[in-house]
Amino acid sequence: MSVETPAPAAEKSATRSPVDRIVEAVLTQRIVLLGVLIVVVVAWLSYMSANGYLSGDYDFDYMSATLIDAVPLALLAFAELVVIVSGRGGIDLSVGAMVSLVGMIFGFAYGKWGWPLLAAVLLAVVAGALLGAINGFLVARIGFPALIATLATYYAYKSIALVINDQKPINSPQIQDLYTLTGSVSVPIIGDYVPDVPLGVFTFLLPALVVLWLALGRGTFGRRLYGVGTNDVAARWAGVDVPGTRMRAYVTSGVLSGLVAVYITAEFASARPDSGTAGNGLALPAITIAVLGGVAITGGVGRLAGVLLATLLIVWLNAGIILYFEGNTGTQFQLLALGVVLILAALLNGLTTRRFRGGD
Amino acid sequence: MTTSTDPHADPTATPLKTRGRVLPSPVTPAEIALVAVIVVLWIALAFATPAFLSAGSIVPLLVEMAPVALIGIGMTFIIITGGIDVSVGGAIMVCSVITGKLMRDHGLPVLGCLAVALGTGAVLGLVNGALIAYGRVHAIIITFGTANLFLFIGLQIFASQPISGMPNTLAWFGRGVDGRTLAIPHSFAITVVLAAIAWWYLRHTPGGRHFFGVGGDPVAARLAGIRVQRRILIAYVITGVLVGLASIFTLAKGTSNLDQSVGSGQELAVIAAVVIGGTSIMGGRGSVLGTVLGALLVQTVKSGVTQLGWPSQLSDLFVGIFIVVAVGTDLVRRRARRDP
Repeated sequence: MSVETPAPAAEKSATRSPVDRIVEAVLTQRIVLLGVLIVVVVAWLSYMSANGYLSGDYDFDYMSATLIDAVPLALLAFAELVVIVSGRGGIDLSVGAMVSLVGMIFGFAYGKWGWPLLAAVLLAVVAGALLGAINGFLVARIGFPALIATLATYYAYKSIALVINDQKPINSPQIQDLYTLTGSVSVPIIGDYVPDVPLGVFTFLLPALVVLWLALGRGTFGRRLYGVGTNDVAARWAGVDVPGTRMRAYVTSGVLSGLVAVYITAEFASARPDSGTAGNGLALPAITIAVLGGVAITGGVGRLAGVLLATLLIVWLNAGIILYFEGNTGTQFQLLALGVVLILAALLNGLTTRRFRGGD
Repeated sequence: MTTSTDPHADPTATPLKTRGRVLPSPVTPAEIALVAVIVVLWIALAFATPAFLSAGSIVPLLVEMAPVALIGIGMTFIIITGGIDVSVGGAIMVCSVITGKLMRDHGLPVLGCLAVALGTGAVLGLVNGALIAYGRVHAIIITFGTANLFLFIGLQIFASQPISGMPNTLAWFGRGVDGRTLAIPHSFAITVVLAAIAWWYLRHTPGGRHFFGVGGDPVAARLAGIRVQRRILIAYVITGVLVGLASIFTLAKGTSNLDQSVGSGQELAVIAAVVIGGTSIMGGRGSVLGTVLGALLVQTVKSGVTQLGWPSQLSDLFVGIFIVVAVGTDLVRRRARRDP
């Protein structure tokens, strides 16, 4: 229900009611809208929980525990952010397949060849960067449409990941012990007052967030990336290395997928050959969250904070749905929620662009 | 040739010797190359596994390929208009689960099945088309969203258990003896006939050329009097109807069971076939003939990998390589022509 909140607000602005300022802030500033939606969703689900409609407690401990699902989603949504912002129809359908393939490579290195953990993680990052570089080479250097290039590599990576170990997962004792890495820890100093937080938030999400924020918001890479995504011809005349910048966007996506591969291997205590491609795969939710977070599919527009808030919204909404509906029905309603939220977010993007920015 | 003054034909797609024609030649070099690749593959497979060229192997290949080629016809329309539809997998599930349930529980006759499946498909296509044409949102975003909606609807109707014990009402479309006339599977024949009609429509009627205009430059197309939004809507509805028909083929070719994996991954298989067939994902250029050849190539690879005794997942690797090679040569060729 809460996902329908944008619709009435949109109607209101269409009839030009006097509360334009607030409405405009909510509609045009995605971060404000997402913040409002998160508050609405959490309040509504807490109310449901307090009145016993849910099969479990929806409280801060539960919300904190579900962050374990937010880590891979957020990292892959960041990957889509970087790629989509790079413009010219940028998109990466292959992130899920990269997660599968890098997960298997990591599984071999750490679980079978007995590499030390740090070396194996490094290998995973390098492997992810290489797979991303193949995407980047096809898109930025040869000029493939991103959709086609990453569709092709999706097929290729997915296939290799399945064949490489004869469709069998790797779950040697070393891999199984990795599970301890994803447990929850209490936050230092203020730990007594806030719920325990999954370790992955500190080991994966926050470092990636800080590095990306520095690179996109404070570094030259970010300036160039947004420039290339907004208008690559202008960027070229301004002396920006357009293919090189776009290439780096896809490599970034590969590196983030490599990190997610390590995380998911640890989370499931097993390197599964279909970890990123089973069912709907990981690419679809990642793209959905990026778009929901305000990333414009046309390139050049998108903020990390928006994507992070969109991840939290989806994860906490899903966490509530799974408590309300039992078993399979819950996962089916998660599909519904994801679809409805994506369509409404996209329609809203189009509406606000036309109404408030004079575009069409 | 009534459209010889049509300004929307893509001039870059015209081969070197144009002789004043505006339409591209009936068969593009890329399609000739595709035919050559398929012939080479078939010969190689015939040498590697003599059983490949027997009727027992070719007939299933044609039956398997029919749904992908059929939806590919619609997807060609969509991609020519500059759109894309990644929701066909979910749409196949919805159409086939509804039809399958009605067939089993209420003994729906053949014509009833066709009406239900095609009608359901048309409605789903209409939803996509209306959102994309009138919501003016990028097609991939909307269809990612509706893909989730369709999956939700399909799984809800399944109600967590596969449909079993379906009657063989649809045997006429299946792979058995009932589904063949003179050794040609009906589903394949229908696909070829529909592809021929679509090919002629897209190439030789003003309405068909309008799709190219919309994909080439929507603003110019609108100024030239084309109803852009209506063309976009029609492309998605056509695809929806063809998805419905493909669901009939899917129901017919299987056993009496239908499980929740139906349609899974089909959207990418269809897009792969269209792209291998030389239709440009940027819109404004493409042909149905190429799509059918692309679907044939993909299915040949799949059958070949299985018959050679290789792991079946390996076929996806070859599909990926074929996409890169097909689109890559096209890109390089166009670039060479543009700056000599």
